[in-house]
Amino acid sequence: MGEITAAVRRLCDDLVETMRASPACVGLAAPQVGVGLRAFCVDVTGHRKARSCHGTVVLVDPEVVAAGPAVAGREGCMSVPDLTGDVVRASELVIRGRTPEGDERVLQVDGFEARAFQHELDHLDGLLFLDRVTGGRLFPRKVYR
Amino acid sequence: MPLFAVLAVGADRPGIVAAVTGALAEAGANLDDTSMTILHGHFAIAMVVAGPDGLDVAAALAPVAEKLDLTVDVRPIPDGTPPAPPGDRWTLAVYGADRPGLVAAVTSVVADAGGNVVDLTTRVVGGPERPVYAMQLELALPDSVDGRGLGDRLRAVAADLGVDCTLTPADADVL
Repeated sequence: MGEITAAVRRLCDDLVETMRASPACVGLAAPQVGVGLRAFCVDVTGHRKARSCHGTVVLVDPEVVAAGPAVAGREGCMSVPDLTGDVVRASELVIRGRTPEGDERVLQVDGFEARAFQHELDHLDGLLFLDRVTGGRLFPRKVYR
Repeated sequence: MPLFAVLAVGADRPGIVAAVTGALAEAGANLDDTSMTILHGHFAIAMVVAGPDGLDVAAALAPVAEKLDLTVDVRPIPDGTPPAPPGDRWTLAVYGADRPGLVAAVTSVVADAGGNVVDLTTRVVGGPERPVYAMQLELALPDSVDGRGLGDRLRAVAADLGVDCTLTPADADVL
């Protein structure tokens, strides 16, 4: 993305604010709010499935450095309100990116937090969980928010 | 628009989906939920098709059915969107030596508990000498059903049948 401008920092603030406005939301990527930039936020604080937890994380130009063993899990998406499906994700992840302040940050995450990071990374590449569902099976989501 | 449940089955060959859905599109119909798969070399289609008014689905599919030797069944169903079966989603997997009555034995435990089978796939694998039966079920268990207790009962029945059985929560992580 190059230089982190004031506009990028504003976008990062908007992402966090929008994520927090929706109680069930644990991550949000710029393309989900109509902005074609490589930035997202994740926060799995308090989630019952979370193992690692780094609080509110905002990354610009994130990339995967290393990925651990794959594991399948049922996944849904705020941007695809009615469906869920089983998606294979790395159970552990080392991810690198820049903070909105421009500092490099490297995080080691696992479990639910690792799944959340990979889900948001996919959004940056234009991929939805629907593109990764195994077995071709889609299920209706139980709760319609 | 009127809704129809459409079933079609015939020996598998390339082009069945394209031909069936093409005939429906040409008739102005719209596909709703569908499930299609190969079962023992036969392609099985189950789908819900919407209107338009006055559409004769069977007539629209007749030429394709004739050409591809498909058995087709069409019946009207009530319109509107039915609610999803209530309850938490669980995945039930059962594997073991094939024998008659496996599916009935397992699903009757689920039904007796008040659980609802919302998806089921079974495959016979392992060859004719030692056939292995593999079942994968998606269950909706209302709040009144204790998932752990149901799992215990299923394992007991599975043990009697000599098969392995695993019931796990399938609640989705919404990201």
